[in-house]
Amino acid sequence: MMQWTSIVQKAQSFIDPANFTLPSLSTSDRNPSKASLFRQQFRLPDSQNPLQEITADLILPVPHTAEQSRPRPGNRYTGRLHLSERFICFSTQPTSFLPGATHAHSTHWAGHTNGAGPAGNGFTIPLSAIRRVERLNSLSHVFSLALTTWNGALGKQPAGVFVPQRFTLQLDGSRQACERFCDGLKKGLREGMKEIENLRVVVNDCYSEFLVTAVKSKDQPGENADNRPPPDAGLGMLFRYPGDARKLRDRSKMRLWGEYFRENGRNATLIRQPTFHKLIRVGLPNRLRGEVWEISSGSLYLRLRSPRLYTDTLSKFSGQESLAIDEIEKDLNRSLPEYAGFQSEEGIGRLRRVLTAYSWTNAEIGYCQAMNIVVAALLIYMSEAQAFFLLSVLCDRLLPGYYSTTMYGTLLDQKVFESLVERTMPILWDHLNKTDVQLSVVSLPWFLSLYINSMPLVFAFRVLDVFFLEGPKVLFQVGLAILRINGEELLEVQDDGSFISVLKSYFSRLDESAHPRSENPKLRAITRFQELMVVAFKEFAGITHATVTEERDKHKDAVLDNIESFAKRTSIRNLGPDSKKLSMDDLGVIYDRFYEVLYDRQQRERVREEELRRLEKRRAERTSTLGPPADREVGRVGLGPSPSHMDYEGFREFLAATAKWAVGDSPGPSRSPSSASPGAAGWRGFGRSPSPSRPAPANHEFMQRLYRKWATDPDEGLSLQNVVNGLARLKGPRDIMNNIQYFFTLYDDRGNGTVDREGILRMSEALLFLSRRGFDGTITPTQTLDELGHPDRDAQPSEPLSTDERFLGSVSAFIRRCFEYADPSTPGGSPGGSPGVTPGTDADETADQLASVRIGDGDNDDGSGDLLDVGDEATPAHHRKASESANPALDPNNPLHITLPTFRMVILADELLEQFFDAFFPRSFRLSVDSHPAVTAASTLSSNLTTFSNINVPRPGLAAGAGASVGGASGGIVPPGRGLRGVLDNIVTDGIRMAAEVKKRMDEAQRDMERNAVARDDDEDDEDDDESAPLTTPAASTSATAGGISNWGASAYEADRDLLEGAEVISVREKEATSSLLDDSPESGLGNGSSQSKPPSSDENRRPGSSSPHNSHATDKEEHVVSKVEFDS
Amino acid sequence: MSESTSANTPKPSSSVKLVLLGEAAVGKSSLVLRFVNNDFQENKEPTIGAAFLTQKCSLPTRTIKFEIWDTAGQERFASLAPMYYRNAQAALVVYDVTKPSSLTKAKHWVAELQRQASPGIVIALVGNKLDLTNDGNETPGESATNDEGATPAGEGEGADGEGQADEEEEEQEATPGDARKVSTQEAGTYAEEEGLLFFETSAKTGVNVVDVFTAIANAIPESSLKSGRGPGAGTGQTTLGGARPAEDSRVNLGERSAATAKEGCAC
Repeated sequence: MMQWTSIVQKAQSFIDPANFTLPSLSTSDRNPSKASLFRQQFRLPDSQNPLQEITADLILPVPHTAEQSRPRPGNRYTGRLHLSERFICFSTQPTSFLPGATHAHSTHWAGHTNGAGPAGNGFTIPLSAIRRVERLNSLSHVFSLALTTWNGALGKQPAGVFVPQRFTLQLDGSRQACERFCDGLKKGLREGMKEIENLRVVVNDCYSEFLVTAVKSKDQPGENADNRPPPDAGLGMLFRYPGDARKLRDRSKMRLWGEYFRENGRNATLIRQPTFHKLIRVGLPNRLRGEVWEISSGSLYLRLRSPRLYTDTLSKFSGQESLAIDEIEKDLNRSLPEYAGFQSEEGIGRLRRVLTAYSWTNAEIGYCQAMNIVVAALLIYMSEAQAFFLLSVLCDRLLPGYYSTTMYGTLLDQKVFESLVERTMPILWDHLNKTDVQLSVVSLPWFLSLYINSMPLVFAFRVLDVFFLEGPKVLFQVGLAILRINGEELLEVQDDGSFISVLKSYFSRLDESAHPRSENPKLRAITRFQELMVVAFKEFAGITHATVTEERDKHKDAVLDNIESFAKRTSIRNLGPDSKKLSMDDLGVIYDRFYEVLYDRQQRERVREEELRRLEKRRAERTSTLGPPADREVGRVGLGPSPSHMDYEGFREFLAATAKWAVGDSPGPSRSPSSASPGAAGWRGFGRSPSPSRPAPANHEFMQRLYRKWATDPDEGLSLQNVVNGLARLKGPRDIMNNIQYFFTLYDDRGNGTVDREGILRMSEALLFLSRRGFDGTITPTQTLDELGHPDRDAQPSEPLSTDERFLGSVSAFIRRCFEYADPSTPGGSPGGSPGVTPGTDADETADQLASVRIGDGDNDDGSGDLLDVGDEATPAHHRKASESANPALDPNNPLHITLPTFRMVILADELLEQFFDAFFPRSFRLSVDSHPAVTAASTLSSNLTTFSNINVPRPGLAAGAGASVGGASGGIVPPGRGLRGVLDNIVTDGIRMAAEVKKRMDEAQRDMERNAVARDDDEDDEDDDESAPLTTPAASTSATAGGISNWGASAYEADRDLLEGAEVISVREKEATSSLLDDSPESGLGNGSSQSKPPSSDENRRPGSSSPHNSHATDKEEHVVSKVEFDS
Repeated sequence: MSESTSANTPKPSSSVKLVLLGEAAVGKSSLVLRFVNNDFQENKEPTIGAAFLTQKCSLPTRTIKFEIWDTAGQERFASLAPMYYRNAQAALVVYDVTKPSSLTKAKHWVAELQRQASPGIVIALVGNKLDLTNDGNETPGESATNDEGATPAGEGEGADGEGQADEEEEEQEATPGDARKVSTQEAGTYAEEEGLLFFETSAKTGVNVVDVFTAIANAIPESSLKSGRGPGAGTGQTTLGGARPAEDSRVNLGERSAATAKEGCAC
């Protein structure tokens, strides 16, 4: 019975997919982290993906070099067999990842060496190196494959004794799984045949090839193999290798390696057995060092993929100059200058070529000091091409971010190292803290130059031997061991100086006995370096790749933040004299916003690219370098070079986050397409909005002009400097003349100090464009004057004319006056004024607007009466205008222009326009003093457009409110512009566009008014209607009143702000920026959790709206909603 | 000599943390090497991260031990700099008199230090490679050693003419072989505006090198010395106080002390 159960269990376990993993292409393909772990594990290029995976036994034959007298069975290893596009890999390390496993899961599953490199026994063999695969017939149901490689068969084959490398793989899986694996293998082999020429080239550069065949030819005196020069094994062949070869026992190591190669294959076909790891731990022999580094780091596979990349790169860029080259030149003479090879032109030439070639292939890194030292060290043992590819692996994979322009990897690993010290040696760590010794100042060069200029060269190379095989954790292990061994001495250290000198003297005595006084001669023979290695790899065996990865994740953000704040500080400081006009806070805001937009856009770009790639189902194969890991965050300042220029699309987004008027009229994709930018549509198509709080930017000709004005080179884009200079000009010391002039020059297309008819109309369009979202109280004509005791036409505050309406009048007066005072252009003058200049987009836009105006018009005929009697300022203007319609200045056939003095005069002649340029225009660019841009922008957007699509919609209350307000707006819209439009219609051709704009503006104004009216109603009814709006808090209404004052005058606003200072300043300021209750409130409620923040804007809405009380119902709803939101928050 | 004086008459001794900043290859490390070892190497390895050296400077009333942090100059190492200038009481911002861009970079460093480093940090602006200019060649009126005989600058494009106000300079302005691109006046004016010590030096010939450090030593306020670590130590770190007696013998980095005897601090 018991047996039966166990059998059933066994059977079930077989069926259980978790225990019995069927590898499948799709699952592994969809899991990039698995792919990258796989590549790390086997040191494969980024083009490789895990396609097939199966449990298997590797059976190695009886070594043919073994003495026949002592027959021993071949070795047998159980592990996982993997297949990628071009490689077959095997490892006894548990490498298996469940399909779809997360990163954490697979690291856990695979144990501590996963992703750490080829630490286990096994192989990584390019499929091109496999000559034949045979399916073995066996009696049992075992599925066996015999693989024969090209090992030794590609070069000149010594006759006779050549025995091809052959080994067996027993696949352990269902028949189906085995078949599938074989199919994959077959396909791969066919592909691999194309690479065989590359393989031949690469393999013949390997010293092992020479070593093994040369020895063979010695056995056969008939064949003179020595006319073949040995492959380049580094400068050491010319200038001697560092250290005493005898002392290093180079010869016997060489013999051992030769033996190992003969038994286990070499270079591309090498099979890792335990001896391999042991041989590396005891230090590589000089001539094989470079090659084994190449194999264990995987740079060999990069070279195999494109053997000529190095020379091609050099010839391609020959003669070209770059910053990196200048930097390289500075350091060539000072890279390991004590080594004879680098005192010669030969060595320096090699160093120059390798560094230069790399700087071309990876321009993002270019050249970083310390690379010269590392490469110089590599060149002692490798050829130039080998060093080039190894450098590539170092920068991209083994030392990620170390040499980037921000060196974030270096800083990050210092943090990681510190935290490991804290964890493993808490007492020492405390001591260092107490004595204020900063560990990283000591350890940073260790990591950055791989101990090469800290330890004597011979020992540094020993560290490198292990480092290339086992990965970055080795640097940490060695560093910790150094501190551990010197712990007692270090605990007595009191400052940086003595700390450094203790370690310096330790490094200088690495070759001495670790136990000089020991009785035991064996113990005495152990050098300090050997001791170091033992401590590093035994005592700190717990420091694994996973530990390092985990710690890196933990500290990454802090490190990047640090770098970024440093970068910000530095670049703000270096912005030049113009930036001094802006406050530090302002500059900080500009900087953040600028890079936020760039970062955002790049992220979107990346998403789009990935999407494209997925769509095309085509994987760009990386041939040369490994490239940055696929999942890295692109464009983050702290990570290295990021874009520094903003194109027009980015500029629009920047403006939208800065100024209300730059926010587009179509927040949702459903809105009219006329103003939805094509760019915006592009990314929205991929279901990713820039950020939830960021509104879609408008696209107005004015913004284009601003862009061109600010950019040094519009094609290149705007730099931070450009943006700061541009804003400094506007936001600097308050100077109305400057602002007027600035605005004028924006339209002075020919740069001759004149603006023609077209320009005048464009100016007026821009004025309307800029003002279409209200003035936030920066323009407050009547009320201000009232309070100041000035006599005024509209002296009764109870019947105010809305600022928006007044402004409209001012703009039309502006056009009229401009034409009135314009100078006729001389007949020979430029014909720039002809209507044909209008760019297509603009015309479209206009047409659209015109259409929308017409529609609105039809809807709202009924309310016309009440506007007309209020608009007494506007009306006279129109009459006058009408009378002037016959003015020859309006005739498009008479070219005319205005000059700056004329423009200035016209502006100053109008109170509102004067205020516009004095206060509103500069202030409309919101920087630090103002509210948070996102909040402002978002709320503004929705408030003016009366749509809630950009707010967390699914609240029923909100939706109701939205509907109500929209309904209210359309229901109550009056054609106040009728008269105005009628007048403007008289302005021929050009005037049409103008009219459309004006009309639109009027509609908006009207809609605002409607809403305001509603709000006002509510205000009045507040006390009585408590039941109808039960959620309205008293606080809200009180502060509503307080905030409302701010809209009537700057001084009042100041007072108001003082009142609230300390408590809610920020939120009040935020509110000041917003103009309507509806959308603003949810935002503020969410943002500040304060009910006080809402009302100022609501109050603004209340005042003028008293004339249309019929909308109170809708408003009630809105009020209701608002309060609810606040409570929610 | 400084050693013997400090050994015989125990003057109050205190250490000063000094950091060197400046563009790559302006000669920061060479200045330190000249000051500490009175030596000059044509091909000095670039500094990776930072190098640490110490040297004593004996003033009439006290001995100052400089703990010198010599930082890497390449632009991308700039983000590491805060690690090194943390708690520094003095800074040497170095530029190359033959390279105007290096002065710009120096100004950036000065601004960074003034804002981010310990308050009250003593900053010296140093124009190095004076040996490549005519002033360097003839060292008019300089008291410092010039025993190596300055080699004339090879790459003289005669590009001076930056309107030097110094009488001495004006006389030599048009001389060929003068690689100077940054006038003494320009840098001096800037230093004055910012309240910096200002020197032009040659690490190669040794002109003015020791003077820089002496001037810094003198400029360090007595008050900041008492705490051992200066104002920056106020960050809650225990100051070194009584634990210091053994430090003098320990801190000298081996071979350095021997070189000290030759010239040491010229004061």
